[in-house]
Amino acid sequence: MAPAGIVLAAVTLIPLLVMVYMAFTDYNQRSLFTGEYSFVGFAQFTGILTDPEFWASFVRTIVFTAALVIGSVVIGVGMSHLMTRLSTTMRTVTTIVLVFAWAMPNVAASLVWNWMFQPGYGVMNWILTQLRIFGDMTNTDWGADTGLAFIAIWLLVVWQAVPFIALTIYAAETQVGSEYIEAARLDGASEASIYRLVTLPFLQPTILLVTILSVIWDFNVFNQIWLVSKGGPDGSTSTLGVFTYITAFVGLDIGAGAALALITALLLGAITSVYIRNLIRSGEDL
Amino acid sequence: MRKINRVTAFALAGAATLALAGCSTGGGASSSLPDGIPDSVDAKGETLTVWVMQDDYSEATLDAINEEFTERTGAEVDVQMQPWDGISTKLSTALGTSTPPDVVDIGNTQVAGYATNGALLDVTDYREDLAQGQTWLGGLEEPATVDGSLYGIPGFAGNRAVIYNKTMWAEAGVTEAPTTWDELTAALDTVAAANPAEDFSPLYLPGQHWYVGLQFMWDHGGEIATQEDGEWVSTAGSDASLKGIEAWKEFQNTYSAESSRTVSADKPEQEQILADGKAGAIIASNGSVTATLNANPELTEADLGTFALPGQNEETQPVMLGGSVWGIAAKSANPELALIWTQIAVNPDIQTEYVFGDQGLMPNSEESIEAVEGDLSEVKAGFFQAALNSRATPAAPGWTEVEGANLLQNLFSTVASGAATPEEAAAAYDAKAGEALK
Amino acid sequence: MSTRRRLHRPSPVATTIALIFCVVWAFPTYWMVKSAFTPRKDALTTTPSFLPLNPTLANFETAIFQAGFFDNLRSSVIVVTGAVVFAVLLGLFAAAALSRFRFRGRRQILVLILLIQMIPGAATLIPQYLVFNQAGLLGTYTGLILAYISSTLPFSIWMMRSFFLALPAELEEAAQLDGASTWQVLTRILFPLVLPGMIATSVFTFINAWNDYLIAYTFMKDQSMYTLPVWLASFSSPLTGTDVSGQMAASVLFSLPVVVFFVILQRKLVVGMSAGAVKG
Repeated sequence: MAPAGIVLAAVTLIPLLVMVYMAFTDYNQRSLFTGEYSFVGFAQFTGILTDPEFWASFVRTIVFTAALVIGSVVIGVGMSHLMTRLSTTMRTVTTIVLVFAWAMPNVAASLVWNWMFQPGYGVMNWILTQLRIFGDMTNTDWGADTGLAFIAIWLLVVWQAVPFIALTIYAAETQVGSEYIEAARLDGASEASIYRLVTLPFLQPTILLVTILSVIWDFNVFNQIWLVSKGGPDGSTSTLGVFTYITAFVGLDIGAGAALALITALLLGAITSVYIRNLIRSGEDL
Repeated sequence: MRKINRVTAFALAGAATLALAGCSTGGGASSSLPDGIPDSVDAKGETLTVWVMQDDYSEATLDAINEEFTERTGAEVDVQMQPWDGISTKLSTALGTSTPPDVVDIGNTQVAGYATNGALLDVTDYREDLAQGQTWLGGLEEPATVDGSLYGIPGFAGNRAVIYNKTMWAEAGVTEAPTTWDELTAALDTVAAANPAEDFSPLYLPGQHWYVGLQFMWDHGGEIATQEDGEWVSTAGSDASLKGIEAWKEFQNTYSAESSRTVSADKPEQEQILADGKAGAIIASNGSVTATLNANPELTEADLGTFALPGQNEETQPVMLGGSVWGIAAKSANPELALIWTQIAVNPDIQTEYVFGDQGLMPNSEESIEAVEGDLSEVKAGFFQAALNSRATPAAPGWTEVEGANLLQNLFSTVASGAATPEEAAAAYDAKAGEALK
Repeated sequence: MSTRRRLHRPSPVATTIALIFCVVWAFPTYWMVKSAFTPRKDALTTTPSFLPLNPTLANFETAIFQAGFFDNLRSSVIVVTGAVVFAVLLGLFAAAALSRFRFRGRRQILVLILLIQMIPGAATLIPQYLVFNQAGLLGTYTGLILAYISSTLPFSIWMMRSFFLALPAELEEAAQLDGASTWQVLTRILFPLVLPGMIATSVFTFINAWNDYLIAYTFMKDQSMYTLPVWLASFSSPLTGTDVSGQMAASVLFSLPVVVFFVILQRKLVVGMSAGAVKG
C-alpha cells in the first residue's frame, strides 16, 4: 500500500500542487526559460472573472454540454430499449455497429469527420445537397459558421457517446425482474406504461450515473472542437476547454491557464455537487 | 493508515518544494561561448542534437550538412524530425530544460516569441562568420532580429506566386503572363468569359487565405502592425490598411467562386480545385506545383505557369516571405558545435546544391538566388520573381499568438463573405491582436 | 438470461428503426474504411462513389512505410501496456483503501479525487512537465506511463470503489472467521468480485493512453519513442497538404487494436458499469 500510495501521490498530486501554486503567479513563457516569475495573489482569478470572453465561453459550455448530454442520453436510452425488442441477429448487428463507433479513437474519428464534412469533396455535403432541402451545400464550410460548426461537433460527440450509454443501459435493462413485467402485463398495462412504471425506475441509478459521467466528459470536451473548428469562427465555438487551451498553449500564459482550470473544476464541481453529495453519503452508510 | 498518510504528506510537500525550486533556477549557456566560429575542433564522441520540422529539409540535404560537420569536428549529429501540430508547446518546454536540443528549425515568423523570452542564443557576434559573405534575404533576417540582435540564422525562403493553368488560359486566348494590374484583370475576365460554369473561379482565392490578404494590405501602403516607441500596435484599421482590405474583398468576390469566401486554402485543398479545372489559377507556394500535378495525373509541368501577382501601386505585390531559420538554444551545452553546424547548413554550397538543387527551395541569400537563376525551370521563375519584392510579418513576440488564434483567417474571411464590413472586421481584429501583441 | 429476453417479442417497427440507426451509425466507420481502400487519385471527387471501385492496398503500404510506424507502434504498445497494468493495480489498492478501511479525511479525499477529474487536462501538462523534468522522467517510457496513470487514476478509483462498496461486508467477516489474513481476503475474495471494475479501468486507461498526442509529443525526446498518434499526425503537414487516403488508411490501422480490445471486453465492461451503478 505505502509504495503505491507514494507513487500515486507523486505523479498525480505534485503537478496539481504546482499548478495550484502557479495560478497565483504570473508564470508564462518567459518563466519557462528564465525561471523567473512573481507572486500575484488573486490577480489571475479576478482577471478571468472580469473577462467577458470567459463568461461567454462559460455560457457556451453550459449550453453545449446540455445539448450533448441530452442528445446522447436520450438516444442512448432509446436505443437500449429498442434493443430489447429486436431478434438476436439484429441485436448482435446493432451491438457490433455500436462497438465500432465507440471504439474509434477520437483522434481518428475527428479526422474522419473533417473528411466527411470537407467543403467541395465531403460526402455529407454531397448527401445534404442531394436531399434538396437545404439547397446547394457542396461548398459549405462547416467550421466557418457557428451553428454548422456546433452541429458537426455535436454529431461527432454524440456519435461516439451513444454506444457507451446504450450498451450500459441495455445491460441494466436485461436485469429488470421478469416477474414484475409479467405481473404488469397480466394487469393489462400497456407496453408504454410498463416501461414508464417498471423499467425506468429500475434503470434510474444507471441513467443517473451515465448522465453525470457525460456531464463531466462533455464539459471538458476539447479534441473534437479543436479538430473541427479550432473554436472559430471568431471564437464563437470556444468552450472553456478551448479557452483554457488557447490561454495555456497558444498564449503560453501558464499562470492564467492554471487559474482558469481551477475555476472550471470548481464550476463543474458545483454543477455536479448534488450527485457527489448523494454518492458520498451512500458510501458512508455502508 | 494515518501514519501512511503523514508519510505521504511529507513526501508530497518535499517534492513540491523541489519542483518549484527547480523552476526558479534559471541559467544561461552552461559552457562558455567561443570568440568566433572555429574552422575545426576536436569533439570526437560528442553528439549534437538538431530538431528539424517535418518536410522542411530532405535527407540528402541533412546528410550533406552532417557529413561536413563530422569532418570538421569529429562529433555526431542526432537529427530528430518533428511534426507541426503542437510544436510551439514542445519547443517552449524543451528549450527551458537544461538539456535542450542544440539547434532548432523555426518558422521565420516565430523567432521573436522565443528570442525575447531568452530561449535562443544571441548570435549577433557571429553574424559575419555565419553569413559567409552572403547578403541574407531581408524577409528572413528581419523577423529574426529582435531589438537589433540576431537570434535566427536564415535557412531557406518560401513565398507565394500565382500558379495558373497555362493550357486553359491559352484556350481562352491569354498567351502571355500578365505583368500589370490591368493586364491581370483583363486576363482573368477573358478566362472567366471562356469558362461560364457557375462554380468556376478564374483565380481561386479562399477567404481565409490571409497571406494574400496581407499582400493586398501592403500593396495599398497599409501595415498589419507597427512599432511605436517600442510598443507594438495593431493597425488593420488604419486608412491605408482598410483600403487594402477593401481591394482584397473586391478582388476575391470578383474572381473567386462564391463558395470560396469562407473556406481555408487546405479545406478543400486549392491545388485540387486547380487540378480539377474548376479554377484557372491559385496563389500558392512552390510545393503546390507538385501537389497540383499529383492531384491530376493528366496534367504535366508544361500545363502550368507561374508569375508574380502584379501590384496596383508597385510592379509586383509585396509578398510575405515565409521560410525557416535555425535557432541555437540559449541553454545548449555545446554552443560552439551548434554554431559550426549552423554555419555549414547556411553556407552557399549547401544552399545552391541541396536546398535549391535537391529540394527546389529558395536559397537564403541574394547571391545564392543569383547563382541559381540560370537553372530555374519555368514553373519556378514566378516564385523567384515575386520574392524580389518581399516583406515579413512583424517581429513582435506576440505575433505567434496572433497566428495561433487564427485571427487573420477570421479577419479576411468575414470581410470576403460580407459577414462584417472591412471597418467592423478590422476593429474586431485590432482589439484582439492588439491585446496579443502587447 | 434468454428467458428474460423472451419477454419482448421482436417487433417489425423496432427492426426498421434499428436498421436505419445502424446505417447512420455505421456510416462514418464505413466511410473511413472505404476511403482507405480508394486510390489516392480517386479520393477527391465531387460526386462520391459509395462503393470502393478499384480497391487498393497502396494506402496501407504508404501508411505502414511512413517514417516511424514500427517504432511508434512499439512505443505505444509498451506505454499502453504499462499504463493499463499499473493503473489497474494502483486503482485497486486505492479503491480498497478508500472503501474498506476507515480513516479520517476519507470523505474529503473522495471529493478531491472527483474534483481532480474535473480539471481540464490542458492546464496540468506544463506543471507536470516541470515536475517530471526535475525527477528526470522526461523522455522515458516510465515517465509517459506515469503521466497516463495520473490522468486516469482518479476516475479508476471512483469506478472501482463502487464495486468494493457493493460487496457485502459479511463476506469478509465470514472469511476472517475462517482464519484468512487481510491479504487473503483482498486477493481471494474481493478482487475476483471487482473484476468488472478492473476491466472498466483498463479500457479507459487504454483509450486515454492510446489516443494522447500532446503529452507523448512534448514529454518524449527521441522521435523513435513517440507513440502512434504522432505518426497519425504526420499525414497532414502545412507544406505538403493532407493525403486523405493515406490518412484514412492510417486511421483504420490506428483504430484496429482498440476495436479488437472492445469487441473482447465490451460485454463485461457494460455489465460491470451498470451493475456497479445499481449497487453502488
